Amino acid sequence: MNKRIKQWIKPVILCCIFASLIIIYRFFDPQSSGVFPVCPFKKYTGLLCPGCGSQRAIHDLLNLNLLEAFKENSMVVLALPYLITGTIFDFLKNPNKRILKWRKMLFGKTAIYIILIIIIAFWIVRNINFI
Amino acid sequence: MENLTGNQRPPKSWLVESILVTLFCCLPFGLVGIINSANVESRFYAGDIEGAKRASEEAGKWTKIGFWVAIGCILFYVVILLTGISAFIPFLKNLSF
Repeated sequence: MNKRIKQWIKPVILCCIFASLIIIYRFFDPQSSGVFPVCPFKKYTGLLCPGCGSQRAIHDLLNLNLLEAFKENSMVVLALPYLITGTIFDFLKNPNKRILKWRKMLFGKTAIYIILIIIIAFWIVRNINFI
Repeated sequence: MENLTGNQRPPKSWLVESILVTLFCCLPFGLVGIINSANVESRFYAGDIEGAKRASEEAGKWTKIGFWVAIGCILFYVVILLTGISAFIPFLKNLSF
């Protein structure tokens, strides 16, 4: 009994936190509320970091404003499907050869270096043009 | 070597978690995590399974550090916000929430 509780307590807590975060970001606008954490990098350098605007983007996404979300932080919007795919790949038990091949292609070394380059390029470009 | 790794999956590379940390929490630690997850993949497919495991631990370590640093900052922020300390201390006032 005790063991079973221990097994379940972590996923349950995580789900609760996740659900409350979704509710918070669905109903409160980070732009106008003023109680959401501010990016320290932006605060002290005045430059945008690759994650700046992600809270606003999540808020817009939860309100089904895809276009607005894309304007706030296009990389977060594009990264979400990729991250969800990656999580699914992580949870698959006993993957067969084909799944492993896809995994290697989408989440292998080359893919990771491409992601790194994309993040850094996005960081530079958005500070030049304020995309 | 191909046969050795053919039917196995690499150790947990922490890639998804590292990207999440990079975007939502703490950029530098997240980037270190991403670089380490690239090491996990490259070492594993080069046949160096021990090295891949080590890189996996390293990636996990940095991702967790980034995550907890961010949580710590947010808690710090919330405490200041709730107690209103920022009104009295000039340095904290500059953080202006």
